[in-house]
Amino acid sequence: MNPLISVRNLKKHFDVGEGMLKAVDGISFDIHEGETFGLVGESGCGKSTAGRTMIRLYEPTEGELLFNGQNVYELSSREMKEVRKNFQMIFQDPYACLNPRMTVEDIVAEPLDIHKICHSKKERRKRVMELLELVGLGKEHAMRFPHEFSGGQRQRVGIARALALNPKFIVCDEPISALDVSIQAQVVNLLKDLQAKLGLTYLFIAHDLSMVRYISDRVAVMYLGHIMELADSEELYNTPLHPYTKALLSAIPIPNPKEQRNRHRIMLEGDVPSPINPPQGCRFVDRCMYATDICRQKTPRLEEVKTGHHVACHLVKEINKEVL
Amino acid sequence: MGKVLEVKDLKISFKTFFGEVEAVRGISFDVGKRETVAIVGESGCGKSVTANSIMQLLPMPPAFFKGGEILFNGENLLDKTEKEMKEIRGNQISMVFQDPMTSLNPTMKIGDQIVEGLREHRKLTQKEAEQKAIEMLDLVAVPQPEKRIHQYPHEFSGGMRQRVMIALAMVSTPQLLIADEPTTALDVTVQAQILELMKTLQDRLDMSIILITHDLGVVADMSDRVIVMYAGQIVEQGTVDDIFYRPGHPYTRRLLASVPHPNLSKDEPLQAIEGSPPDLYVPPKGCAFYDRCDRAMKICKDHMPEFISHGDSHCSRCWLHHPMAKQVQDLGKEGA
Repeated sequence: MNPLISVRNLKKHFDVGEGMLKAVDGISFDIHEGETFGLVGESGCGKSTAGRTMIRLYEPTEGELLFNGQNVYELSSREMKEVRKNFQMIFQDPYACLNPRMTVEDIVAEPLDIHKICHSKKERRKRVMELLELVGLGKEHAMRFPHEFSGGQRQRVGIARALALNPKFIVCDEPISALDVSIQAQVVNLLKDLQAKLGLTYLFIAHDLSMVRYISDRVAVMYLGHIMELADSEELYNTPLHPYTKALLSAIPIPNPKEQRNRHRIMLEGDVPSPINPPQGCRFVDRCMYATDICRQKTPRLEEVKTGHHVACHLVKEINKEVL
Repeated sequence: MGKVLEVKDLKISFKTFFGEVEAVRGISFDVGKRETVAIVGESGCGKSVTANSIMQLLPMPPAFFKGGEILFNGENLLDKTEKEMKEIRGNQISMVFQDPMTSLNPTMKIGDQIVEGLREHRKLTQKEAEQKAIEMLDLVAVPQPEKRIHQYPHEFSGGMRQRVMIALAMVSTPQLLIADEPTTALDVTVQAQILELMKTLQDRLDMSIILITHDLGVVADMSDRVIVMYAGQIVEQGTVDDIFYRPGHPYTRRLLASVPHPNLSKDEPLQAIEGSPPDLYVPPKGCAFYDRCDRAMKICKDHMPEFISHGDSHCSRCWLHHPMAKQVQDLGKEGA
C-alpha cells in the first residue's frame, strides 16, 4: 500500500540571532491512509513545528513531503491552495483559535468562503448545520459566539471547521491538553468516530503519552528535532528500545496506586538541552546512561531493528540483549 | 496522628456583576502530620479556591467567607488579622503555584528573591541570608547554586524555576505545604524529578502536603488520602486505595474510567462523562452530579445527599449508599 503522506528528511531551522535553532532536523516517516500517527516528545522537541511544516504553515528549510506522489513544497501558491483543501489542523488552545467576534456559523464556514465552495447562503448554512451535527453540536449553536461555549464545545467548533472542506489529512496539535479529563475523553471519542465515518488520517501530536497510546496506530518519539524511535503503538509501549523512550515511559504516573508504588522509575538527570546550535552526535547523549564515544561523534540513523520497529541508537543491540 | 489542619463546613462565594457564585459550598476535611492529601476535580470545582482560602490569598471582595472555620494547629485562621496571617504565611504554611514563570519576579535575581523571603521571616544579615539561599538551592538540587543565585528567572528552565519556587516555599521549614498543580506545566520526565523532590523534602522536614491536581496518575503516586471535589462540594474522600479500588461515588468512578488505561483496547470507546458541571450562580438543590449521572434516582434531583461512611475514613455523598436505597451490586466493588 502506498502511503498517503511521505516525509523525507524534513528540516526546519529558525535563525534566532544567536545561532540556528534546529527545531526539526531531518525526520522521515510515512503515514498511511486511515491511520493515526502519534508524535510525542517533551516541550521544545520540535513536534509542533514538524506538524506545522508538514502542512506548509511554515516553509521547510530542506526536505520533501510527498502527497499522492507529489512534492507539496514545490507547488506554486495557486496549486498549493487546491492541495491545501486536503490538509487541515486542529489547534491546542480552543480559546485562542476561534475569532471571538465571529459567530460559530461564520467560523465554521470560513474555509468554505475562502475556497468559494458554496454558491448560495442557503447552501452554506446547510453545510454548516451538517458539520455542527457531525461534531455533536446543535442548530441552536450556530448563531452564538465562542465565549458562550465551554472548552470542550469550542474544540468541537474547531473540529467542525477543520472538516468543512472534506480533508484527507488532519494535524491534531495537542487537541485535548487544554481540556478537563472527562471532556478529553469526549473529544477523543469524537475524533475516533469521525475517523471511522470519514476515513480521515490523523497526525496526533501530544505530550500525554497514555492518550497517544490509546488513539494512535503508530507512534514516533521525538527529542531535540530528531526521531528517536518509531513503532506500532503497542510495540512501542510494551518494548521500548531507545533509552530515552524507556525513561519517558517510566516517568508517566499510572493512575493505579499499587502499580505505581512497585514501579521502577528511570530518573533522567538535568533538562532538555538547548536546540540552538546542537552538537554533533546523538541528541540524547548528555542525559543517556549508556553513552560512549561513538555517541558523541556520530549521529545515529533511524534503523529498522525489528519488523516495523525503528530506533536511532548506536547501542540498541547491546542495551536490549534480551529482546533483540 | 495529630491534625495540622482542620477545615470545617467552609463556604466561600464570589460577588460578581451577574450575582453570587458559590464556589465552595460547605466542605470539611483535615490533614494529619506528615500526610499528603490530594484534592482532585475538574476546573471550576473549587479546589484552588479552597487552597487559596487557607492562605487567605483570595481577593476580598469579590470573594467572601460565608461560613465555616479553618483551624491550623487548633487556631482559626479566619479570626487572624492580616499581620498575624503574614507571620503564618510563608513561615508555617507555604504554597507552590502552577506556573513558575508568573510567580517569580522577572526583574530580580533568583538569589535576591530567596534572600528577601528569608529576611522577611528571620533576623539574618545579608551575608548569612545569601549563604542560606545557596543552601536552599542545593537542597532542591539546583546545580551550581553559587553561580545560579546571580541569574534571573528567564535564565532558568521550567523545571529549574519550579525547584526555585519549592526552595522559596521551604525557606522557613513550613509544617504545611500547599502545592497547586505544581507539575502541570512541566514535562513528564521533569515532573518525575519534582515529585521525587517533594517526597524527599517531606521526609526530611516532617511536612504535611495538600496537593491539588487533576492528574490521577500524580495522585496515585503521591497521596495518602484523596478528596474528590465536584461543583464546590466534596463528593468523596478516603485513602488513596479506597478511592482507586473502591470508589463509592458515581463521579469518582466515571472520572477514573475516563482516563485511558494501558490495557484498554483501541476498539473500545473511552468512557466520557457527557455534559458539563452545573453553573454555580444557581447551584442545584439536589446532587450536583444529577444531570450527568447514569445512576440518578428521583430523590437525587431535589435532595442533597449526606455523607455516608464506607469504613474508617472513607465516605461519599451519594443516595445510592443510603441503607434504604435499592442495593446496587457492582457499586463500590469495582477496580482492584
